[in-house]
Amino acid sequence: MTYGRSGRLGALAAFLLGGSALLLVSTPAQAVPPFARQTGLACEACHTVPPELTAFGRRFKLNAYTLTTRPPLVQDIDDHKKNTVWLTDLPGIGILFQATYNHYDRAPPDSAVPGAKAQSDVLEFPQQWSIIAAGAISDHVGGFLQMTYLQPAGTFGVDNTEIRYSDHTENNDWVWGVLVNNNPGNQDVWNSVGAYPIPDFSNQSLWSAPVIAGASLRTPMYTGFGGLVAGPSAYAWYKDSAYLGLSAYTAAKSGSVTTTLDSSNLSVGGGTVQGWAPYWRAAYEYDFGYNALMIGTNGMYTKFTPSVIAGQTLDPGFINRYLDVSVDWQYQYNGQHHIFAFLGRYTHETQENDPGLVPTYFSNSTDHLSEWNVTAEYYYNRHYGGMINFVRTTGTSDIAVNGGDGSPAHQYEVFELDYLPWFNFRFMLQYNVYQVVANNQNPFFLLKASNPKASNNNTWVLGLWMDF
Amino acid sequence: MRSLASNSVIVAAIALGALWARDATAQELPVPYEPSAVPRNQSVYDAKTLVSMACSKCHGFNGVSISPLFPILAAQQASYIEMELQLFRERGRSDPHARAFMWGIAQGLTDYQITALAQYFSSQPRVTARASKNPALAEKGKLIYENGVPERDILGCIGCHGPNAEGIHTFPRLAGQHRDYLAIQLQQFTGERRESEIMHRFTQNITEDEIAAVTEYLASK
Repeated sequence: MTYGRSGRLGALAAFLLGGSALLLVSTPAQAVPPFARQTGLACEACHTVPPELTAFGRRFKLNAYTLTTRPPLVQDIDDHKKNTVWLTDLPGIGILFQATYNHYDRAPPDSAVPGAKAQSDVLEFPQQWSIIAAGAISDHVGGFLQMTYLQPAGTFGVDNTEIRYSDHTENNDWVWGVLVNNNPGNQDVWNSVGAYPIPDFSNQSLWSAPVIAGASLRTPMYTGFGGLVAGPSAYAWYKDSAYLGLSAYTAAKSGSVTTTLDSSNLSVGGGTVQGWAPYWRAAYEYDFGYNALMIGTNGMYTKFTPSVIAGQTLDPGFINRYLDVSVDWQYQYNGQHHIFAFLGRYTHETQENDPGLVPTYFSNSTDHLSEWNVTAEYYYNRHYGGMINFVRTTGTSDIAVNGGDGSPAHQYEVFELDYLPWFNFRFMLQYNVYQVVANNQNPFFLLKASNPKASNNNTWVLGLWMDF
Repeated sequence: MRSLASNSVIVAAIALGALWARDATAQELPVPYEPSAVPRNQSVYDAKTLVSMACSKCHGFNGVSISPLFPILAAQQASYIEMELQLFRERGRSDPHARAFMWGIAQGLTDYQITALAQYFSSQPRVTARASKNPALAEKGKLIYENGVPERDILGCIGCHGPNAEGIHTFPRLAGQHRDYLAIQLQQFTGERRESEIMHRFTQNITEDEIAAVTEYLASK
């Protein structure tokens, strides 16, 4: 067997196994009915359209989800009149449900039978089904705990999880907090980086955008760790403007100890985070009138032991080093009738490969990756809207990693129309258009080994989203 | 339709009543909103804590909001704030933003907290109004504010809201308020989505142009 062939099959196997495992936490939590029940506030208080946060929503999250307006059912105070327990009469439980109907412009190849084609239409009902327990635990501590069933993986397991403590000065000039979560970026309160990007309603099928974009070494490393790492963070927020957060993440076993679901299958090639990976976030927000403007940066430095064939972690002595740095922005107009947002990020990744793995598993001692991810959206009265998302990745050619000509490039757009008859009930029509898909990221390489057409992957998605 | 004269008499009577009521309450000590002053039998949350926890997220810690979706509360009439908070709590004010935001926020407030919150915001220094970018429009708005539009049964605002639009008792201060907020409220009144018999009666014939003018005047006052 030639190396090139095994590399392709290895990538495909990881596609099927690692990709599925990753998807367990790759879908955002969206709006959270328990928060609405706890505060009595309508969705629009915290969200322009879920999962995007308004200025108020950002403050609610940074204050550890603690704002409560329901009278307590159980309450006690100490000698200093401080709360020792405060429980409302409702547990903070909510349900999130998503379904999709996917139609591929061209039926993808069957992954098991060479030369055969799979079906071109998939109805996933549900595509995702989550139970969310969220809200104030005390007057300074709040939590967000999500369990999710995901159709592509067919599994039910731990999704985004966060426990947060916060406090603030009396005049609110300073808000600070500490938290622990299992997904770098889950703590973020803007939607240009982190765990809640838009379009949030991604095509979730096996051969689709999130697999290509979210579960491979061809995307920024730090976006692919959801559920596979855990770590503490500390943050400070000054005058509702300047934000700084510092975190550190280390490998976590979640949901299962089988090799296909643990951190040894991180992505194509799999692997495990070694030690603690620092993650940082700085942002500055300026609010004026109906407008909120943010510029920021975040990034992560990761020492990572890859397993080039899925499920087989290499000797921990081999360590690749990833440095991801993003610059991002978000402009938000949140008016009485009109909502507009323009947001995005540019990420540069430097990957230093362990000399012991070059050139067998990586062609270069150093690889680079750059990604643009830009979205514009508009909603009228929160009922009708749409968005356009553009993603373009380029980088150094690495034949050992990427096969074919070695290019990691991909480029696609997502066009989306939304109709929300109620704010917690959304219909979505999406068309994913691919211009460039890296060779062994393209399932059609099974039919045509060299340069299969990227546009074969174009996909229509009809989606339903609701939470209650 | 009532004549303008009889309407004027009604409004004058209301305004006089309001003045009397304010005089009657003026002798009472303001309700303290510092933590140390909260009575023992009241909620652990004093007004300042409530402002810090909740109100300030939209209205600003000093009652000066940034987004025109939310009103500026600094130097607002205490009686007006108190009345509105009670209405929110009882769900007696039902315009869309009241439902979305304030029904929830106010649902657990005690009478004491409501009074203390009203005192807190009314005692914050008023915001300096922005200069009008359209003085001609503002001048037109001033005429409407002072004289109304008699031929269409629109009464001047001055009778209740005062010569400087500073408000009195349960009639709110309008001077220096966000222009868009004022316009949205007028639209809510004309559409009868926000309750107020007086405002329904005297704004039912107002046009969008007149709303633009009078709000431009008030926002820059």
